[in-house]
Amino acid sequence: MADTANKTLDPRLNRRGFLKGCTMAAAALGLSETVVPKMVEAATSGQRPPVIWMHFQECTGCSETLLRGAHPDLANLILDIISLDYHETVMAAAGYQAEEALHDSMKKNRGKYIMVVEGSIPTKEDGIYCKVAGKTALDSLNEVAAGAAAIIAIGACATFGGVQAASPNPTGAVGVDKLITDKPIVNIAGCPPNPVNFLGTVLHFMTFNRFPALDQLKRPKFGYGRRIHDHCERRAHFDEGRFVEQFGDEFHQAGYCLYKVGCKGPETFANCPTARFNEMGVWPVSIGHGCIGCTEPAFWDTMTPFYERIPDVNIPGTGIIEDADRLGTQILGVTAAAVGIHAAVGIGKRLIKGKSGSDES
Amino acid sequence: MAYEKKKAWSILLRLYHWAFALSIVALCITGFYIHDPWTNTVAEGSQSFVMTWMRFIHFVAGYVFTGAMLARIFLYIFGNKWERLPEQLPVTPRNIKNFFNTLLRYSYIKDDHDTDRLGHNVLAGMTYVAIIVAAVFQTISGFYLLFPEIGTWEVYGVMIFGSQQYARYIHHLLMWLFMIFAFIHLYLVIWNDIKEPEGLVSAIFTGVKFQHKT
Repeated sequence: MADTANKTLDPRLNRRGFLKGCTMAAAALGLSETVVPKMVEAATSGQRPPVIWMHFQECTGCSETLLRGAHPDLANLILDIISLDYHETVMAAAGYQAEEALHDSMKKNRGKYIMVVEGSIPTKEDGIYCKVAGKTALDSLNEVAAGAAAIIAIGACATFGGVQAASPNPTGAVGVDKLITDKPIVNIAGCPPNPVNFLGTVLHFMTFNRFPALDQLKRPKFGYGRRIHDHCERRAHFDEGRFVEQFGDEFHQAGYCLYKVGCKGPETFANCPTARFNEMGVWPVSIGHGCIGCTEPAFWDTMTPFYERIPDVNIPGTGIIEDADRLGTQILGVTAAAVGIHAAVGIGKRLIKGKSGSDES
Repeated sequence: MAYEKKKAWSILLRLYHWAFALSIVALCITGFYIHDPWTNTVAEGSQSFVMTWMRFIHFVAGYVFTGAMLARIFLYIFGNKWERLPEQLPVTPRNIKNFFNTLLRYSYIKDDHDTDRLGHNVLAGMTYVAIIVAAVFQTISGFYLLFPEIGTWEVYGVMIFGSQQYARYIHHLLMWLFMIFAFIHLYLVIWNDIKEPEGLVSAIFTGVKFQHKT
């Protein structure tokens, strides 16, 4: 029987809060309620999977979002369900002790621990752009990943490189799955990702001993399988053609669709409209700002300008960066001019040569 | 000088042409609307589904476009002599000669017209092949945008374009390619029809061209 009376967990975590957390995670995963007891059992079995959390090029926003998680008990749950052996920004230990904790855990739990990576890994110049404890991120990643059972890449940086990998990517930053290919990797995309997606993935791994179903980009389908646009509360306004023309106008106040001010909901996959954030039922679109597409690869390059529909055209070697439609109109104009000149030359030639231009006339 | 009637284009090619042409017109207009909706239905609950209709027309026209493209690819392999792929590309000495001849003719340097071919000149033929290749990418990006959650499209879409947004970007740029192509195509067809009274424009309705009796 599962320890729902809470004998092993943090005493501050009550039974009700704990069950609520497990049920929420099961719901996010799309699992039936009959699985909840199984999940509770896995979470309370006492065999807390050791987790080593590595920080590379990042802002710690993913840890922040997790610590201030949507559910009041989420932070407790995370710290109690898993054995977080190493986490640079949360752990009390520092310096030598911290390093020791990392090495001890790696040695003791070799082949069993879950590695969580937050932040991208620079690869240019042998990765000297990011060093922790005198070692490059590249070396640390390879060292810790070698003994990991599985890797969870959390956040836009660890999954697809994030802002560091935005063009021209000076540090050669890449996501984890570009470097580690021989371990199961799951990408919890987003900037920051919804803590529900991380928690759901961890609980799924503990309950079934494997990751949930993943999409082409290694994102769990329960969290990233469906389009934001299709579940948006403003979708009816889109279908009926009611749009915000600019921020603050009467249509914005009326809560119309943010499509024309650059909302990237139609090309972004995440459960933001359904899972929402911060236990307050909010997410960007609900408070009047368009989606910026942070769960998609290379979103700093392809989703900008954030308030336009598509990126500008950048013609390499010319320095021309122009809105696609303005550029298209210009090219069409030049073509029309060329056609006009071509036709004029033909007419002129015919006038000069008399009517002998063609074999027919 | 006497002319004789010669059959150039099969019925399928003519159907392809008009399905392709009309679907491109519909796709560009509705596509522009979907990209940047120029109306705003201010009244709520007014039975107005502008965006929905535009998208519906866009998708129907997209299927017509796809069908036309597949018909043209079929004709590249199984069409008549003038429709097949080898006739379009500068792969034979005869076609290479025609290619340069056409360039000279279009720049008003030479006047004589190759009489050994009823179909496209090689410059036009090559352009049409390129347009069909662009149409293949346009179709794949379109279906990936429409069905991002369906396995096959997801696999190929991610493989070719990486993300929905990039597919959308390419889809939009290719639309401009089709518009610019259509403009030049119309001009050159009329230009050729004036230069060589073979009945080039009517040939795409009737399938018949006229050549001098030799």
